[in-house]
Amino acid sequence: MAFFEQEIHDAPTTFLSKYVFSFDHKVIAKQFLWYGIAFLGIGGMMALMIRWTLAFPGQAFPVIGTLLFPNTNGVVPPDTYAMLFTLHGTIMIFYAITPILIGAFGNFCIPLMIGARDMVFPTLNMLSFWLAVLSALLLLVSLFTPLGGAAGGWTSYPTLSTLIGSAGVGQTLWCLALFVLGVSSTMGAVNYIATIITLRAPGMGYFDMPLTVWGLWLTAVLNAIFLPVLGAGLLLLTFDRVFGTTFFLAGAAATSGSGDPVLFQHVFWIFGHPEVYILILPAWGIVSDLLSFFSRKPAFGAKSTALSMTSITILSTLVYGHHMYSGQMSPLLTQSFMMLTMTISIPSAVFFANWLGTLWKGSLRFQTPMLFSLGVVFVFGLGGLTGLYLATVSTDLYLHDTYFVVGHFHYTMAASVLLGGFAGTYFWFPKMFGRMMNEALGKWHFWLSMLGLNGIFMGMMVIGHAGMHRRIYNPFVYEFLQNLIPLNMFITYSALLMGSAQLLFVYNFIHSMYKGPVASQNPWEVGTLEWTIPSPAPHYNFAEIPVVKCGPHEYGNPNLKGKDFQYQTEELVKA
Amino acid sequence: MNLLLNFYLKFFVTSSEAASNVGFWEAMKPPVDISTYGHLVDDLFMLTTKLILFFFFFVCLGIFGFSYLYSKKRHPQPLYTHGTSKKQIAIVALIGALVFVMVDMQITTISNRDYVNVFLNYPKESDDIVRVEALGQQWAWNFRYAGKDGVFNTEDDVVTLNDLRVPVNKKVIFQITAKDVIHSLYFPNARIKVDAMPGRISRLWYELTKTGVYDIACAEICGTFHYRMKSTLTVYTQAEYDTWMAEMEERTKHVTEVEKVENYWGWKWVASN
Repeated sequence: MAFFEQEIHDAPTTFLSKYVFSFDHKVIAKQFLWYGIAFLGIGGMMALMIRWTLAFPGQAFPVIGTLLFPNTNGVVPPDTYAMLFTLHGTIMIFYAITPILIGAFGNFCIPLMIGARDMVFPTLNMLSFWLAVLSALLLLVSLFTPLGGAAGGWTSYPTLSTLIGSAGVGQTLWCLALFVLGVSSTMGAVNYIATIITLRAPGMGYFDMPLTVWGLWLTAVLNAIFLPVLGAGLLLLTFDRVFGTTFFLAGAAATSGSGDPVLFQHVFWIFGHPEVYILILPAWGIVSDLLSFFSRKPAFGAKSTALSMTSITILSTLVYGHHMYSGQMSPLLTQSFMMLTMTISIPSAVFFANWLGTLWKGSLRFQTPMLFSLGVVFVFGLGGLTGLYLATVSTDLYLHDTYFVVGHFHYTMAASVLLGGFAGTYFWFPKMFGRMMNEALGKWHFWLSMLGLNGIFMGMMVIGHAGMHRRIYNPFVYEFLQNLIPLNMFITYSALLMGSAQLLFVYNFIHSMYKGPVASQNPWEVGTLEWTIPSPAPHYNFAEIPVVKCGPHEYGNPNLKGKDFQYQTEELVKA
Repeated sequence: MNLLLNFYLKFFVTSSEAASNVGFWEAMKPPVDISTYGHLVDDLFMLTTKLILFFFFFVCLGIFGFSYLYSKKRHPQPLYTHGTSKKQIAIVALIGALVFVMVDMQITTISNRDYVNVFLNYPKESDDIVRVEALGQQWAWNFRYAGKDGVFNTEDDVVTLNDLRVPVNKKVIFQITAKDVIHSLYFPNARIKVDAMPGRISRLWYELTKTGVYDIACAEICGTFHYRMKSTLTVYTQAEYDTWMAEMEERTKHVTEVEKVENYWGWKWVASN
């Protein structure tokens, strides 16, 4: 089915061409993985500082506090606090989860799982990574400008993000950084879409692709459509800041012209709601596959899972209005957006049923990737269902901009995506580095993370329901929030637990890279194409382009002799 | 649970004094509901909670039950099925439909009914209501009452800073905007908030049922001291309110600088119906 012949190029020989400016999708994937993990660490530290401030207002941040905030003896100052939550959101979404789930797994899995030698546009792929690096530099530089980094929240609504609310260069650099990152991600997305359409191995129809590839593909489609929208909004915002236009300034705030701050909210959320699915779709795909691999049973209703992910992709573009209920919408719009939002639960229910159907009567192996996948089913169940409170307008008017929202979207976007990302990391690590990760440490990592993150995000939903609003430096200046001091402390302790559990992962990851037991070609006994080649994968991937003869989830076929799974390159065994 | 909490408080929370006399479940409750429509929000919240717990129970049953029953040890030979038989597809479709009909349609209908019939059902201008204009700015709420003449933006307006006082059992209608950045007028006790945006006027109404002093907050990030954008809501009996208003009107005569342009930040009241 491939549209053109793929050649085997010579292996790169110099350090620069092999590890730095590499065209190889697997190296670029690893570069994105390191990039993402580094930012995950930075964003996580910021989260801990935020949590510390909320639980212990006025107390110095332990250990590194005095180093970071010498003027206040280690206490996080309020303006820095605003910067912290802004950059925590920005970094986690655009610089940690996007590179790990989309950059790393997208690059690594797509060619290997569809039987291609590389991406269709290797240069564009490399450029995509180096633009992401440029964007990261812009963001980091913004922290050292005179008034500090951006502090208007990751949504950066005007007019707070215009010169009226934030005068510093930091906010401008933030806009530019995200613009450049948008260009980078769009390049990646175009590449993924084209690769999947043109380079599938002969015999591989769309429904023979593993669901991971489906998830990444749908993500790429959303990215290619909606990142330009964000880019447009950010450019207009930059114009407002630098060239004195008034696209987003209005009324008392504008000296001249008549723009509208709400316009930005429309532009932002028409991108922002699909963004949620951009982040979660790869994780859904990975989980759908892993549940089948480790249940030793075909994925239940794989086609309907793929189709429901597709319908969610389409629906996700039509529901963004539920982010703006508190801006006083006409009832006609609230009705429409409520209904459209609710319809998303039908395809969601379908693939939840399929996930559970995959487990049903399987033969479950509880290795680390499986534990993390089951974790995703659990936390995404919670995260998805709690979205209902926020989709109905009357409850949203109370819960909007409270910690309930924070808890809800962390369950869906942070907990599920992170667990999905960890599942993928533990699963593909042998193919990436040729060594296995430590199982015992992996299981500790899973259970401690689960405990920590449920403590954090469940706690957040509870304090949100109790009325605590978002992005406040010290909640306890309010009478009605006095009761929440112990709960806030509990959340912070959970966050510290969650944070320290990640040290296990970092140790496991780095140690296993050099000292882990050498992985066999197919340590998990899985039949998709990447496991038909040696570990780690050679730079040309497939010495011979494979021919696909059956689906990706052939396990437990009673007609098989000697093993319980089939490679996709084998003819389906029938009775 | 209380035991656990006491233990926890004793060992970890020695410095905080306020929280120690509140029970564990008590601390989780939303602030006391003082509006006529707050219970609509709370009831819908409870209903949604029950419905999603029902479905989440089955998700958990699936995860933990199947993990127990079908582990490799207990169930070595998996069932070879692709989930594509008519019966299996029908079950999956039924689950989707059940979620939609049982949860989605129900809460959407209720929420929509409440929103249209109550939250958007602004009191008539001809009714006996209290009208207030609110202006958000970094980092304070300005409130403006029409004063004796009943017309806004005149020199006899009663203007307060971070101090809103309204009578109990009487409909209050707000018109809200912002001076600099977007704010959000948030009454946790009335279960309502609405954004205050430069360039447009938002509206909100409520009727409060309990006298007392409550918090008003800004819910939309509006800069460094967002958390300090706190105002007081005082709910008076009608008699107390009349006394206070009379005092304020009297005071206004002496305090307001009639020539100062900045004092006229208000606007002509936009009739709701």
